[in-house]
Amino acid sequence: METKHPHHQKRWLAYKTLTVASVKMYFRNRTAVFFTLFIPVMFILIFGAFNSTKQSSFKLTIVNNSSTELAGQFTKALEDNKNVFDASQNNLDNAKDLLDKGKTDLIIVVPTEFGSFDPATQKLKNAEIITYYNKGQPQAGQAASLVIGQIVSGFNNQITRTPVIFSVNSQGISTHNLTYLDYLVPGILALSIMQLGIFSIAFAFVSFKSTGALRRLFVTPTHPISFIFGQSVARFLIAFLQIGLLLGLSILVFKVHVVGSILNMFILAFLGIIVFLMFGFAVAGWAKDENQAAPIANLITFPMLFLSGTFIPRDNLPVWLQKVTGILPLTYLADAMRSVSTLGYSLWQVRMDILGLLIWGVVMFVVTIKVFKWE
Amino acid sequence: MIIEVKNLKKEYGKVKAVRGVSFTVEEGEVFGILGPNGAGKTTTLEMMEGLREVGSGSINIDGVDVCKNPDDVKEIIGVQLQSSAFFEHLSLTELLKVFRDLYSTRRDPHELLKEVGLSKKAKAQVKELSGGQKQRFSIAAALVNDPTVLFLDEPTTGLDPQARRNLWELVQQIKAKGKTIILTTHYMDEAELLCDRIAIMDNGKIIALDTPQNLIDALLKRGFKKKMPTNKANLEDVFIDLTGKAIRD
Repeated sequence: METKHPHHQKRWLAYKTLTVASVKMYFRNRTAVFFTLFIPVMFILIFGAFNSTKQSSFKLTIVNNSSTELAGQFTKALEDNKNVFDASQNNLDNAKDLLDKGKTDLIIVVPTEFGSFDPATQKLKNAEIITYYNKGQPQAGQAASLVIGQIVSGFNNQITRTPVIFSVNSQGISTHNLTYLDYLVPGILALSIMQLGIFSIAFAFVSFKSTGALRRLFVTPTHPISFIFGQSVARFLIAFLQIGLLLGLSILVFKVHVVGSILNMFILAFLGIIVFLMFGFAVAGWAKDENQAAPIANLITFPMLFLSGTFIPRDNLPVWLQKVTGILPLTYLADAMRSVSTLGYSLWQVRMDILGLLIWGVVMFVVTIKVFKWE
Repeated sequence: MIIEVKNLKKEYGKVKAVRGVSFTVEEGEVFGILGPNGAGKTTTLEMMEGLREVGSGSINIDGVDVCKNPDDVKEIIGVQLQSSAFFEHLSLTELLKVFRDLYSTRRDPHELLKEVGLSKKAKAQVKELSGGQKQRFSIAAALVNDPTVLFLDEPTTGLDPQARRNLWELVQQIKAKGKTIILTTHYMDEAELLCDRIAIMDNGKIIALDTPQNLIDALLKRGFKKKMPTNKANLEDVFIDLTGKAIRD
């Protein structure tokens, strides 16, 4: 039995068939599915377990050395912000001891001159608030410092207007009720997209090349670009599945706060996949076999793993390295996803990150075209 | 005449891989291309299959000019590659469906598997097949578009004597259906048995082209004598007699 079909119908069918085949191949490859779906879940489980104890709020210890009314009001304002801080007062020695033992996340020292009047200048004395945090937990310290900074600046603004009466506006800080997991999850999403895009394509495609499976397609009248299309669609599907799974787990199990739009997260993920697939195809297109693809794929992903702020904020890096790492594609993707997730930014507000990703996309497209070899 | 190759040439830099090859193949013929490694066989075949750009000269297969329409020629030929892997994680039926969907003419996968004796393996994957079964499947995959011309590149390399005989039968069955077959092999017994005519290539040229019997006769006419007296049977006959013709998969 044989059937004949018109030309255009054939072309469409070739795309469809190779896409369905690619999806089947991917999902039947248990190892690949395990690595793409469960490794990121493991990351979140591990970090989730580490951080589950301080899910609720930061423990804050206030050392108030000032006896002024303003200092009292400031301290009270911190203590009243129960949704953000678990604040208590103590003396400096005890507070440092608590910090050492991990029983507090941040110490705020209110200096003696805080809120006192300088007769010479007819103004409030300039008072510097000192904060201590554990260097081993920079995320906690940084997040808390950020919030304190906001309260203090809120105070300063109000002080300049009306010297005595004020109330702390807690509106601005409610979105900053940031746990480490809130920070971590968008980064892990971005990281998974990078790994999926680069590794799954680089290895799968290069093995089609080295085993001769790709060559088998060449003897058919189909242009092999239809196979690239099918392979890419399979990756998009698994990426969306992965993002959905990770977000669901994070929100439902670990109570991660996703302030922004989930749709925007998916749109960014889509963009990220395109960029990283381009990296994957560049590696697979350049390499002859797995032995060539592996080191290059690792060389691309490894620095980004640590330097794109996935696990540790880039603020902790030296300034020059911050600048260099700021233009990494994973940095753009992770920053954009984090801004949407934790700050509720719109796509327009993360347009610079999107632009960065688009530029990477164009650059890698050109590179792929240049280095790609079918055999 | 279904294939006409005229003064075909191909150079890679300074290396002249094919240096003016001409031949014609009749419809329904099994045409063998023999030659030592590096003789230019593969390059010639790849140009005919539309896989490699033609250097100069012309190739016409069933009225299609291969130089001008390499994709059109791919529609009407079937190619069994020397070492080609198939996609993993797909069953034989699924693979045949994938390949068939890439052509305008599409044959039924089950029928194809039946023809090559792999009906029982329809749901298996290629990696579960024996060497002979793999080759037979590879031939089935080359037949998905019901091609006019079938290219077989060293189809029995690495197979045991039983599997080789089995594959020869398959080739003869395909020939009986009126297909034209272009075959390369390093086994002279295979060429002698299967091929209607043989082209022997060396250094990028055809140095002899005739039926196997005529080639043998021509050699004897030149006064050739075998150094060893011929036995009436050879070791392969012994092997087959002892182990039987039944295929071991």
